[in-house]
Amino acid sequence: MTRAPVLGELAVLDDVGPPRRGRAYPAAGATSALLLPAALLLGGLVLWPVLRTVHASVTTDGRWVGAAHFRAALDAPDTAAVVGRTVLWALLVPAVVTGLGYLLAAASRRSQEGGLVRLILVVPIALPLVVTGVTFRLMYDPDPTRGLATLLAARLTGRSAEDAPQLLGPGLVTVALMSAFVWAWVGLAVLVFRAALDRVPPSLADAVRAYGGRRRHVLWDAQWRPLLLRTFAVVFALVAVGTSRTFDLILVMAPGSVRDEAAVLALRVWQTSGGTTTGEGAALGVVWLVAVAAGMLVAALFVRQAWPPPRPAEPEPEEAQPTSAPPPRLFRLIAAGAAVAWLIPLGVLVATSLHSPVDAAAEDWWSAPLSLDSYRDVLGGSELWRALTFTLVLATVVTAAVLVVALLAAYPLAWLTGPAAQATGLLLMAASIVPVQVIAGPVNEVLGVVLSSGTARGLVLVHLALGVPFAVLVLRNAFADLPAEQVRGARLGGRHWWGTLRRLARHNRPAIVAVSVLEFVQVWNDLVVGLLFSGPDAVPLGLFLAGQTRGFVANSGALATGSVIASVLPVLLVVLARRHLVAGLVAGGVR
Amino acid sequence: MRGGLRRRTLLRAAVAGTATAVAGCSGGERAVQVAVVWSGTELERFREVVAGYPASVQVVSAGNDIDAFLRARHLAGTSPDVAILPRPGLVTEYAERGWLSPLTPAAGYAVPGDLGDLLTVDGQRVGVWVKAAHKSLFWHLPSVLPQPPTSWDELVALTRRLGARARRGLGPAPLAIGAADGWVLTDWFENVLADVAPDGYDALAGPDADWQGAPVRDALDRLAEIWSVDGAFPGGARRALLTQYEESVIQVVRARRAAMVFEGDFVDDVVHRFQRDSAGPSTFRFPGTQPGGGPLIVGGDVAVAFAGADAGVELVRWLTDAVAFRPWLRAGGYLSPNITVPLDGYADPVRRRLAAEMRTADTPRFDLSDRLPGPFTGSDGVGIWRMMQDFFADVTSGVPAAEAVRRATGQLAAAARSAGGGR
Repeated sequence: MTRAPVLGELAVLDDVGPPRRGRAYPAAGATSALLLPAALLLGGLVLWPVLRTVHASVTTDGRWVGAAHFRAALDAPDTAAVVGRTVLWALLVPAVVTGLGYLLAAASRRSQEGGLVRLILVVPIALPLVVTGVTFRLMYDPDPTRGLATLLAARLTGRSAEDAPQLLGPGLVTVALMSAFVWAWVGLAVLVFRAALDRVPPSLADAVRAYGGRRRHVLWDAQWRPLLLRTFAVVFALVAVGTSRTFDLILVMAPGSVRDEAAVLALRVWQTSGGTTTGEGAALGVVWLVAVAAGMLVAALFVRQAWPPPRPAEPEPEEAQPTSAPPPRLFRLIAAGAAVAWLIPLGVLVATSLHSPVDAAAEDWWSAPLSLDSYRDVLGGSELWRALTFTLVLATVVTAAVLVVALLAAYPLAWLTGPAAQATGLLLMAASIVPVQVIAGPVNEVLGVVLSSGTARGLVLVHLALGVPFAVLVLRNAFADLPAEQVRGARLGGRHWWGTLRRLARHNRPAIVAVSVLEFVQVWNDLVVGLLFSGPDAVPLGLFLAGQTRGFVANSGALATGSVIASVLPVLLVVLARRHLVAGLVAGGVR
Repeated sequence: MRGGLRRRTLLRAAVAGTATAVAGCSGGERAVQVAVVWSGTELERFREVVAGYPASVQVVSAGNDIDAFLRARHLAGTSPDVAILPRPGLVTEYAERGWLSPLTPAAGYAVPGDLGDLLTVDGQRVGVWVKAAHKSLFWHLPSVLPQPPTSWDELVALTRRLGARARRGLGPAPLAIGAADGWVLTDWFENVLADVAPDGYDALAGPDADWQGAPVRDALDRLAEIWSVDGAFPGGARRALLTQYEESVIQVVRARRAAMVFEGDFVDDVVHRFQRDSAGPSTFRFPGTQPGGGPLIVGGDVAVAFAGADAGVELVRWLTDAVAFRPWLRAGGYLSPNITVPLDGYADPVRRRLAAEMRTADTPRFDLSDRLPGPFTGSDGVGIWRMMQDFFADVTSGVPAAEAVRRATGQLAAAARSAGGGR
């Protein structure tokens, strides 16, 4: 096999020749100007807070105390259980998502209903995790006259409602949370695997068969070894990083009495320190940061060149290939069954929203009369509208700003090659996965300095800082991967480097679309940033919904309705842009 | 130097870009800022109240995590002028850090018992009560439970009787309880404690609290006596631990799967939304050892003004005026801590009766868990909330009462010690 090109390696660039060079490369001064906004944001709102947290973990009021905070935090009676649960999340859930994702991607290939199956699986990715939490809490309601899953569990185990297993009870709450998470994330795995399977050249399978290979040989030699091994690693790493989001789910799904049984590090750090950073909370946070960073390094080493270069610009004509038969009937049944199973929670959510608030709280959704009263109540009040408008403005402003900052920074970074490129890649990756709960206290201090703590401005800044690294990563890789002819064309056509940048950006439309949609949906769906940094009249949607779960049953009509309304826009965006998203995610997240 | 110019323009453009992206809505005449714990209806009512204030007031709902919110705002140097805090423990904490201004309430302002002392630090008043909650109340439907119990022993006997009937499927369970919310259980504990050991009650909030002493053990014994009754809760105790307080009210007033629920006066909002017909539930006082003389536990919200906020001090003084909260009194759902507010100002009869009770009770006591230091005070999964939930789980799952009490007092004492109070 030929060596895969190293990131940013575009030897052809030099053929334009020295005289033009000065115009196409941003000059040193311009480069620093281009990097300045991103550097300021990341330095101020990520790097400094991380250092400050590390500092707080070894000091008390500025006095050095060594490892005392770490000892105290780790000696606390249930820290071991919390850490164990966090590790379980980071290993078990990605394994399930990856396996299920591959199975469903393979099963839904090249069949007529496959597209529909994949579409259904994609919808949960777009939902805010708060909405996922609301949906599954409705399903798992401990009252068998309200909770579908509890009713089924009681029927299946043949026990009375009182003795039936309680999915939200202390024993099973983690399982319940994990099931919700898997439901939400499998679609992503399916999309990535599907893209990967489409890239496997069919000639390889033919060759294996020609040598007398059986089905498993084809699987092993023509799919697993050349490509799937790495894709598995990519998906696994993505989902493992994603499990730090369970915070939202726990806040929404776990009733107060089982919070402890559900707690992971994210929750514990937040519980011990609130919005500030104190000794023990900081120590736990540092432990967590180190674990995440180590995990990321391992993943990065493993999957550095996992994706084949996106050279084949023309899509592989998969339908036209006579050799590729649709998967066997059993597989197709599995895919169809999964699609139905994935629809049930959505059905429960919509059905609950279609009852009057009183019926939604007190009756079962399958027999109570339908009504639009909940919608009338929610839409008639001003609170949801205020949250919706605020979130829409917030997400739009943040997306536009992230795009500008990231485009400016990505352009000079794309010209780096070799170790420098890899180091920047790792740094950006690390910055994009710092858990915000850990650095909340110092971030608030910084926001205080720029007079925007607890304001809409503060929220914009935090979202910007959290969104920029990933956006830069994706756009940088997209710039670096452009075919030589396009780069040459842009450089010859653009008189100045910003002209070149504009032309190059035009060629990069898929990546830009991916970054915009991801950033918009991320801000729209956010809970944790709102929880930690919102303030006067700056109540985003996620926080608004999560606040109502305090009286979950009494509010379930309004909650279900609000959830449905909150989901429309992100679902539309993600479904429409799903092709671009995969391309963008894979190109950016992997290298 | 065209190149240089260009570069500078670009730099400026980049900076301007971030700046515009970052610019939010601000400016204009600065209103008095008030951060409150309330949301929903309560928030709207409070907005109506401050609409009567001569200057403009900006009300910010910080939600239940107002402590984290205020600490973050303090770090950032953007504290509001006034905050309405949910518990007096926070007031003393802030005052000791020097965050608060001394206050003088309006003339004629008076609160029951020694409630005012809770808000005095070093002889200076730093907070005033602005809203009270009556936390010694049972709700029941007269059609389901015509004859409410008048003493603790009657309550236990009634629970046993109804529990036995409920086990056979002949009627509703006796008690609904929102044990998923830890404060419901601490409220139970406080009522029982104030009844069995009135003298030991206040000491538990102090620095020398003895959480393994006789008062706490007696109170827990009593709770074990009633909670461990077979069939006491609709759907069983495991189910009760997943029931939030609003759902427990629904179980009584709508589903009618339970005969009574112990909850503060503030649940009437849920009651009104879910009652089946116009004949709503009635209430009775938490029964004590002696018929007729039950404990009275009061909760409440405190207004404080931050250091240097003169406009805030002014607003707080206005809030203590007997007429300030009139819009809320008229709309219902508000119980004033100010005992000089005329009783006929209350629009709803339940509140009028409760306000009268607060005036006549011998020793109203303030919610204990709200006075505990640091994380011991409790929130979901933390502090005394968690410990009472563990105790509830123990006594309802067959752990002998003595063993459950031993475990609970051990936990409570350890938590009190590490929070900087208790022996």
